[in-house]
Amino acid sequence: MILTELRLHNFRNYQDLTVHFAPGINVLIGRNAQGKTNMLEAIYALSLTRSHRTSNDRELINWQQQSASISGVVQKATGKVPLELQFTKNGKKAKVNHLEQARLGQYVGQLNTILFAPEDLSLVKGAPAVRRRFMDMEFSQMSSKYLYDASQFRTLLRQRNKYLKQLKYGQQHDRVLLTVLSDQLAAYGAEVIVARHHFLQHLEKWAADLHYQISLNQEHLHLAYVTQVKVGDETTVDQAYHELLKLYQDNQGREIDQGTTMYGPQRDDIRFMVNDKNIQAFGSQGQQRTTALSVKLAEIDLMKEQTGEYPLLLLDDVLSELDPVRQTHLLTAIQDKVQTFLTTTSLSDVARQLIKKPTIFEIKHGTLNKEEA
Amino acid sequence: MQYPEPLAKLIESYTKLPGIGQKTATRLAFYTLGMEEDDVTNFAKSLLSAKRDLHSCSICGNITEDDPCPICRDKTRDRSKILVVEQSQDIMAMERMHEYHGLYHVLQGVISPVAGTGPEDINITSLLKRLQKSDDVKEVIIATNASSDGELTAGYLAKLIKPAGIKVTRLAHGLSVGADIDYADEMTLFKAVQGRTEM
Repeated sequence: MILTELRLHNFRNYQDLTVHFAPGINVLIGRNAQGKTNMLEAIYALSLTRSHRTSNDRELINWQQQSASISGVVQKATGKVPLELQFTKNGKKAKVNHLEQARLGQYVGQLNTILFAPEDLSLVKGAPAVRRRFMDMEFSQMSSKYLYDASQFRTLLRQRNKYLKQLKYGQQHDRVLLTVLSDQLAAYGAEVIVARHHFLQHLEKWAADLHYQISLNQEHLHLAYVTQVKVGDETTVDQAYHELLKLYQDNQGREIDQGTTMYGPQRDDIRFMVNDKNIQAFGSQGQQRTTALSVKLAEIDLMKEQTGEYPLLLLDDVLSELDPVRQTHLLTAIQDKVQTFLTTTSLSDVARQLIKKPTIFEIKHGTLNKEEA
Repeated sequence: MQYPEPLAKLIESYTKLPGIGQKTATRLAFYTLGMEEDDVTNFAKSLLSAKRDLHSCSICGNITEDDPCPICRDKTRDRSKILVVEQSQDIMAMERMHEYHGLYHVLQGVISPVAGTGPEDINITSLLKRLQKSDDVKEVIIATNASSDGELTAGYLAKLIKPAGIKVTRLAHGLSVGADIDYADEMTLFKAVQGRTEM
């Protein structure tokens, strides 16, 4: 899908702006604090009705103003769809085709975007919890059964942890309830583990290809799923369930002493291996960046697989973090395929030459000028 | 300015009801002022009598005026089945069906360690005693809600009751009657396929 037109009214530092975007790569160039990221934020919000930077919608309204709006026209395979999002101090309204949507949930999905911001590097460098959250977000979009299993697992995990604590401090004594909790937790845990193994391979397929391209055919990316249960392509949910249940049975005493659940997918992790080296521990900054980028860009192909259309790609200040060779390979990998919006303070000459037909917009104090080629 | 004390107290009382906030409570309180005195008296009496004259049935835990409750006293009921529900309202729902003629047991809650409700805090002990006392019961039907707490409670009951050689069954999950498959959410469909029956 392509965003052909965007109108902003009192959104952050933009008072009134109408801009027509090109189908290929749109470069938003400008000095610091001119509104480059605000522009990406507007597109992101038009897609998901909320900002990626703040949970407080009032911050999106230009100060001293009462309301703000973002509207745009999305060109899909099936036709043009006008979208509009209004923010007031009392809440927000979303319109599709000029019709107000009763629920925001009905609106989301009209325009799909994928954002890559410098913070996304924490996917590789950050704590395992970041990677587990990433898996849950990704895989939930791919399967509603995964969404259900993962949320049931989380609920039961909270119950079991609480009960283990109550057993530890002698507030409860009933071991039978613990066996029931273990049994049900193992059942959902096994579903989550087998699904993660499966989906991660799916993600790896796309990510490895991209990584190979971006790294000039030099690096092979492998996503290794780290979990306490032995899991392979042949593992059934039932086998994983029995293995997990055995861990709970064998370690009941220890878990009560600790007052927490020590086994299960809540301890999972992904290890990013590049040419058989663990990139989190031994990779260079650039390799870590490329890895995070490849995994994130793999979402594009996954989304295409699911919805039949490519999403928009928003790249916030990503080029400056990559060397010229990786820049050009990144741009070649995405151009002609995905409508891309990228912000940068200066477009290096390499990128200027290699992007086939970049449309360049210069941003200055909340105004946009199309740069004539 | 503040409301006169009797009115303020009334508003505060209304806010104790579920789903009623300050504004609705104020509206209800002013409405009460305009009501006929007889109606208000009846209202107050009903409130008190609901609290004073109703007890839990000593056998099944259902709310009742007389102990044991009419269902437990009813000799025509099938004494080989006990249907276990979370709360008294659920019995009413089952009775409206007119197709179940067995006995009931009300747990008055569900097990939820996070909410601080353990197995002893709900009516499980009395259910087990009931089963020990009489040999009539051949089947226990667990009709707790299809929520995670409901499933946990069901799993716990099954674990305790099954070793005694009593059949334990659970209500089916799946499509509601007259439902369009089109409109069903994925998980409901999944459960319906999982729990399909042979024709």
